[in-house]
Amino acid sequence: MRLSTTNLSIELSGRKVLDRVSIDLQPGEVVGLLGPNGAGKSTLMRALASLLETPDVLLGDRALSTLASGERARKIAFLPQEKTIGWALAVRQLVMLGRIPWRAFGQKPSVADEATAAEAMRLLDVDGLAERPATQLSGGEQARVLAARAVAQDTPFLIADEPASGLDPAHQILMMQAFRAVAGKGRCVLVSLHDLTLAARWCDRVVVLDGGRVAADGEPGKVLDADLLRSVYGVTAHVAHEAGKLVLAPLALSDGGRP
Amino acid sequence: MNRRSLILGLSACVVVFFLLSLLTGPASYGPIDSLRALVVGGDEAAAIILREIRLPRALLGLMVGFALGASGAALQGFLRNPLAEPGIIGVSASASLGAVTVFYSGLAGASMLALPAGALVGAVASVLLLLGIAARHGSTLTLILSGVALSSLAGALTSLALNLSPNPFASYEIIFWLLGSLKDRSMVHVAIALPLMAAGAALLFASSRALDALTLGEESAASLGIDLRRARLFVVGGVALMVGAATAVAGAIGFVGLVMPHLVRPLTDRMPGSLILPAGLGGAALLLAADVSVRVAIPARELNVGVLTALIGAPFFLWLVARTRREAF
Amino acid sequence: MKADLPPRGGDVRQDRGGRRRAPSIAVALTLSFAVLAKAEAASPARVMSLNVCTDQLAMLLAAPGQLVSVSELASDPGLSFHSALAASYPHNRGLAEEVLVAKPDVVVTGAYSLHNTTPLLRRLGYRIEEFQYSQTLDTIPGEIRRMGMILGAESRAEGMAEAFESELSRIGSERCGTSPTAIAYDQNGIAMGAGSLVDSAMQAAGLRNIAAELGYSGMAPFPLELLVEKKPDIIVLPEPLAETPALADLIASHPAIRALGEGTLRIHLPRGSASCGGPFVIEAVKVLADARRRVVSCQAADRHLP
Repeated sequence: MRLSTTNLSIELSGRKVLDRVSIDLQPGEVVGLLGPNGAGKSTLMRALASLLETPDVLLGDRALSTLASGERARKIAFLPQEKTIGWALAVRQLVMLGRIPWRAFGQKPSVADEATAAEAMRLLDVDGLAERPATQLSGGEQARVLAARAVAQDTPFLIADEPASGLDPAHQILMMQAFRAVAGKGRCVLVSLHDLTLAARWCDRVVVLDGGRVAADGEPGKVLDADLLRSVYGVTAHVAHEAGKLVLAPLALSDGGRP
Repeated sequence: MNRRSLILGLSACVVVFFLLSLLTGPASYGPIDSLRALVVGGDEAAAIILREIRLPRALLGLMVGFALGASGAALQGFLRNPLAEPGIIGVSASASLGAVTVFYSGLAGASMLALPAGALVGAVASVLLLLGIAARHGSTLTLILSGVALSSLAGALTSLALNLSPNPFASYEIIFWLLGSLKDRSMVHVAIALPLMAAGAALLFASSRALDALTLGEESAASLGIDLRRARLFVVGGVALMVGAATAVAGAIGFVGLVMPHLVRPLTDRMPGSLILPAGLGGAALLLAADVSVRVAIPARELNVGVLTALIGAPFFLWLVARTRREAF
Repeated sequence: MKADLPPRGGDVRQDRGGRRRAPSIAVALTLSFAVLAKAEAASPARVMSLNVCTDQLAMLLAAPGQLVSVSELASDPGLSFHSALAASYPHNRGLAEEVLVAKPDVVVTGAYSLHNTTPLLRRLGYRIEEFQYSQTLDTIPGEIRRMGMILGAESRAEGMAEAFESELSRIGSERCGTSPTAIAYDQNGIAMGAGSLVDSAMQAAGLRNIAAELGYSGMAPFPLELLVEKKPDIIVLPEPLAETPALADLIASHPAIRALGEGTLRIHLPRGSASCGGPFVIEAVKVLADARRRVVSCQAADRHLP
């Protein structure tokens, strides 16, 4: 099953945020969504997660908007950029919220639900925090707990908006490993990132947005080069190869000193 | 504490205070005589007192307390705001204003049904207004301050409406509508409030899963398959029905909906959805206890029970405001 | 000069006869009394009433054209027994300014109302006649006579007072048998306890006021439960004071009162008949005495008399 959209254009309060964007997500891949601030990454992710009422997103050959909300929640999980934890729930319970779409109203979590949630916590290295109140954790821990919640939703598509921001390098890698593990089970992860090296090393494919349009779409090694970084981000970068993967280190602003 | 023993414990409290409420009053009958009069009749005066005066009062204490506690829990969960409460954010005051406007204008004659009808309109309008404010400015404090303003405005308009009434007694009833009471209610009031509250409770319980999911914010909740529009409708409708019915029969009783969710939350798994029932039961026990206290404390000059809940609740609110700046719940 | 006068003109005569004073004061008093006596003899041309109770006495006794205006409450049927009479008089709101504009010869008002207005008017030299709020029936004939004296309608007042007294004693003489219990249960669950006008009317009609017997005095909140427990033979219930409803009026229709059943007689007093001391209070007494006859059969009770 594929999640796709063709020539999607979205205007928000009179401003064109997405301009004829086409994207096609396949099972088993981790896709990095890159682009400068304001390029339209979050809007595209919301559209794909069916949070914007747009009829132009297809799941398989069905319009996503025709699916019942419960059915959709069993297909697509969304991890928003904003980290909201309203009440001092224990981590275990917060992750269990990801199982809501799989339970009938009023039904208690099943053994299978518990197992899925436990697996998600292990993947994101938060199983040791299971009984801690989520509100008392550090920012990085909270980010991983919320990611575990999205992973526990156990959907064919996982869309994560900047999940690695604010994490230390080790936990950034841990999070990308977790997404790879998810993709390894035949699921698809779309993850927006600002760390180009992280994207280059862990994504099968990157889609680069610039000003609401797709500037590039393909394997990181083929797509990410000095020209693209200059034209999209307005930076010069050191581009190297390490063990067959790209390493990209932005160095300075190009072209007149403005991004 | 596990959920079952919590519910059982709170229910036991409700039963105890319900019985105490039945046994408290200026007419002196022993507990056995009282309960016999209630169940089988017996001495005519005792039967009338128990069935027509004390039973409706105890039932209303239970129902109104439950409605306020459950509404407070639902509002706090829905708004992710530990300070939200029907009294503080002005829902009760607006329900009072609605009831007063319809009843004292004489538009509906002297029909008692004017009270709940007006109260419902007032409650719905205020909840919608507050949700509108909450949607534009997400901050905890903005909502509370808006609610305080709304509450004052509704209180002032209530006083104005009562002062303008040609009925000389109307202006003495300002205190009832601002600080409610359960004195001398009857089964008519129970019959008016019960169906509305039952419908309101059903709506709130039906939104419990949405409240759980909303712990993660609106976008996450939507991605978990929660129909936010429906959830909003249920919470608005549920709170308005519960608080509107409660206010129509007992006036505006504050702080029960604030205090109770916080008292029982540490005893639960803190899921907003699973807090509704215990907060409701706790609210029922609290209001029954308060209503017994006002009758015992100064029997000759009975205090409005809303005065007592405000005396307990307002300092609690201040403490909570101070704590909210540091911690999450 | 006028400001030095004792408030009640009728007492001055006793003053003069009974006391020795320094010559200058005696002269002053004599002079001032001469002024007063002249005013009384001529009967004041323009009288203004600021209080619903004095309104009614004045309307009953004043000569045509003598009464300049009455208070607004005089036409409130809930408070004023003679509200219909008030329609033909101009109304005032009890404000000093209105008195200054109207310039009446005498102002009659209640002792407890308008306590800012009264001293002000006195300072400005107006003659103010204050009436105590009558709480018992036996003061009523005196009040009627005093109003008659102020208005120069002594003989009409005398007739009215005598009719009141004789009617009262006739009702008293018809009492027989045991005294039934009663309560006047007003809006908001307020009972009329000892010392109230209704309590006095109940005594005159031969009823036992249970609120007074239980130690309640004046207008006091009385628990509904206690009313049910004591189960009085007669309950005097209020009629709504206004077209527009108030919660206060609902107490009269409380199911607990309805549940008392046939054994309890529920009556209303004629509107306004017991809110002020006046000859009309006799109408309240008559209704109470009538209720008493319906509860206690005189023939049956007489057999128990020695």
